[in-house]
Amino acid sequence: MIWYQFIALSGLAVCLSFAVFHFVKLLRLGKPKDLAKSIGNENDGIRYSFTKAMSPKHKESAYLHMPTYTAGIVFHLAVFLSIALFFAFVTRLLPEGAYRYLPAIFVLIGSALGIAILVKRILLAQMRALSNPDDYISNLLVNVFLLSTAFYLIFQEFEMYYYLSVSLLLFYFPLGKLRHAVYFFAARYHLGFFYGRRGVWPSKPY
Amino acid sequence: MTLNNETRDKGLEVLTHLKDSKLITHLNACVHCGLCADSCMYYLAMNDKRFIPARKVDIVSSVYKRYCTFTGKYLPGLVGARNLDEPSIVEMVDLLYGACTMCGRCTIHCSIGVDIAYVVRTGRNMLANMKLVPATLQSTVNAAIETGNNMAIPTEELVDTIEWMEEELRDEEGCSEAKIPLDEPGKNVLYTLNPREPKFFPLSISAMAKIFHAAGESWTLSTRMYDVTNYAFFSGDPEEARIIAGRLEEEMKNLDAKRCILAECGHGSRAFRWEGPNYLGKEFDFDVITSVELIYEYWKQGRIKLDKSRQTAPITMHDPCNLVRSGGIIHQQRELLQHCVMNFIETTPYGVDNFCCGGGGGQLAMSEYNERRLKIGELKANQVKATGAKILVTPCHNCVDQLMQLNGTFKMGVQVKTLAEIVADALIME
Repeated sequence: MIWYQFIALSGLAVCLSFAVFHFVKLLRLGKPKDLAKSIGNENDGIRYSFTKAMSPKHKESAYLHMPTYTAGIVFHLAVFLSIALFFAFVTRLLPEGAYRYLPAIFVLIGSALGIAILVKRILLAQMRALSNPDDYISNLLVNVFLLSTAFYLIFQEFEMYYYLSVSLLLFYFPLGKLRHAVYFFAARYHLGFFYGRRGVWPSKPY
Repeated sequence: MTLNNETRDKGLEVLTHLKDSKLITHLNACVHCGLCADSCMYYLAMNDKRFIPARKVDIVSSVYKRYCTFTGKYLPGLVGARNLDEPSIVEMVDLLYGACTMCGRCTIHCSIGVDIAYVVRTGRNMLANMKLVPATLQSTVNAAIETGNNMAIPTEELVDTIEWMEEELRDEEGCSEAKIPLDEPGKNVLYTLNPREPKFFPLSISAMAKIFHAAGESWTLSTRMYDVTNYAFFSGDPEEARIIAGRLEEEMKNLDAKRCILAECGHGSRAFRWEGPNYLGKEFDFDVITSVELIYEYWKQGRIKLDKSRQTAPITMHDPCNLVRSGGIIHQQRELLQHCVMNFIETTPYGVDNFCCGGGGGQLAMSEYNERRLKIGELKANQVKATGAKILVTPCHNCVDQLMQLNGTFKMGVQVKTLAEIVADALIME
């Protein structure tokens, strides 16, 4: 194992330990304690929260902001793909060949959209008012990760820079808002639980 | 404002040593995407970046980060972690009490799923622990605790109003035997009131009494504890909320009633039905439903019959946030209206997406924010005007109050009524 791969794997260990610790902590605290008599079904609400409630049709934050919403979705898909590619690189499961261009292009598009989101945060006064340094750094680190993934897919000699960018991201993960990778799922669960018990979700025609 | 360590620690108690997975989650989940801005009436009406819901989450979560997270303790500047000091408290009071109706519209549309209204409630809880609830709102809570109802109505005045309403009701066709029973034990239903009813809108009491009479219900009002409201839900003080909720629970037992029927009051029904058992730390051993559900039940069971041909004027409806978005009472009032009036028109948007009237979250009690309250209400007024309706129905007395003020200010040209009044007018008395 080369030194920079070792650093990246150490970062992965830190990142995963943090994520697992916080996820287990939430699990151990258990379901929300609600003594009021339910008029709905919390499981249906949770299912709805992760499915239809996320669709652009049902979320104002999506249908009123389709360009940003679409950019965000593609950006995140590129992140998921890049994470999968990281494991493929580490385990040497990714064969050589021209097909590497396809994921590289997708990740590059994702990165371009991620940069657009960052530019929006910088340019819009109301976004700047909401932002702290972590908001910029987190976005920047993810974009560097995406760009280096794309470059590494195309240029093998980019390997060291790729692993160093991954390391930066992984070591930074526990510090800032990247933690939403854990809390996003918990938030959707809790929202589904809340609206499910109260019969608001799943939404029915009325 | 001076803040000593003892006071500050009382505020921080709410955030430290958390055992609430829901609160931990929502304090950590916001990514500051800002897409919630367009779901908030305050931001839409005033285009002020301070009013973006994420900012309201941030004012609480930044304090949480400062005292409860590694990064916030050692690198506060990186994540915008803030001390709970005088400037942050001034901002908290202004944003959490003065710029949020806790309507939850931003919550249901949040891109992540952050329960923004819950975080605002948590912030209000911190401020209540520090005795920083706006005096106007606190005085409403105090009135309820000291006198048994938030408008401090003396029992004699209530009894006089009820007797007057009973006489009026008996003059109506088919109601000569109708009664408004007071403090009668062993009845099926204990019906509550919003103190605004005996004080300003007594006709809604006789309307509900007419419905009970038509349905042949066994019911009573209580003179000791009839107030459905619980403004401590808005002030954020769980101990005071517990006292108020506990009184109604006790009265149910005193009168040995089987069902507690919550009057048309959005926050009141939420505070007792959904939050009450949690304030009191126990499940209720009696049935608790809203009057909207009860009237719907009567109609479904054929206990009341309705004639829609009597009301031909165009009618629209305002959905109270706590009843609809946070209470799941969505279709019942619509089905009833479809059978009570000829021309029912929905606003855009409506149902769980509906905008707050602007009077929620205790805004009607906090006169210092009147200007903002009316400004955000313009959005609602325009929504109503666009329907062309002549009558505006809402199953919430708090909303009625705000909508009547909007009616005067923005010339909506509507009559504001409760659901019970509309149903009572459509009743076929046999």
